[in-house]
Amino acid sequence: MTNTASFATTEDELDTLVSIAIRRAEILDDEGSPAADEAWHEVSAYEQRLAAITAPSEIAGGVARVGAVRAALAAGHRAEAESLASKYLAETQLPAERRAAMERVFQEDRDRRARHFPAIAKSGRLAELAGWRAAAAAQNSRVFPMSEAA
Amino acid sequence: MTGWRHRPIEWLPEDPGVLKALDRNRVTEDGAEAVALTYVNAKAGWVVKRRLQQGDHADWLMENEAGSMAVEVSGTASGDPLGRLGEKKRQVAECSLPVYRLAVVVGFERPSILAGSV
Repeated sequence: MTNTASFATTEDELDTLVSIAIRRAEILDDEGSPAADEAWHEVSAYEQRLAAITAPSEIAGGVARVGAVRAALAAGHRAEAESLASKYLAETQLPAERRAAMERVFQEDRDRRARHFPAIAKSGRLAELAGWRAAAAAQNSRVFPMSEAA
Repeated sequence: MTGWRHRPIEWLPEDPGVLKALDRNRVTEDGAEAVALTYVNAKAGWVVKRRLQQGDHADWLMENEAGSMAVEVSGTASGDPLGRLGEKKRQVAECSLPVYRLAVVVGFERPSILAGSV
């Protein structure tokens, strides 16, 4: 028998949880810990919950939406980040500034990968590399214990 | 938001033996955040909304009746806090959110708080 518990959280509670999670993820990132990926995934989960209860036109809602995408990328979950971005960019009330911020997040991710894989970036095959890594990770989640963002 | 310049601050010194066992950069950063957030609350009633991710070019999103404010905080255990303030003002100026933007630097060698809006 499986018990499923629903855990309702308020915006204030989620603000606290995401604040703690961001600090932890940034510290783990600084230390090059393999646990950073999971920490960023947790950040993305909180940001997504915040996005779900805030309007895209609000400051907090815009921050959460871009934050969810950025954290998913930091966790190495590029497909999830792209899916979230598509969902949030489809919201007509999302301000132009947040749309631009969303684009910058992906550009920063491309720049980061180019620094990590300069030869592949030079040959214009970063997208191919990302696809291969995603396919390999889908078959065995332990293949890439650390994202290249770490 | 104007007129935020030098403000005095005091605290009890920590045992140097304890400090040696801690991460100096992180202790300085955490201490600066505690002082800075208290300062902006005491000064204008700003309260913490949430922490921001590094890509937002600010550490904290704060709120009061005037709206929202992005705050970038830094601490200096030694050296020139005024130079650091310029650096942090340039950083928070890159925050694209439609909010007030403030940089705060807490100096610990010669205790001081420097703040500047952009």
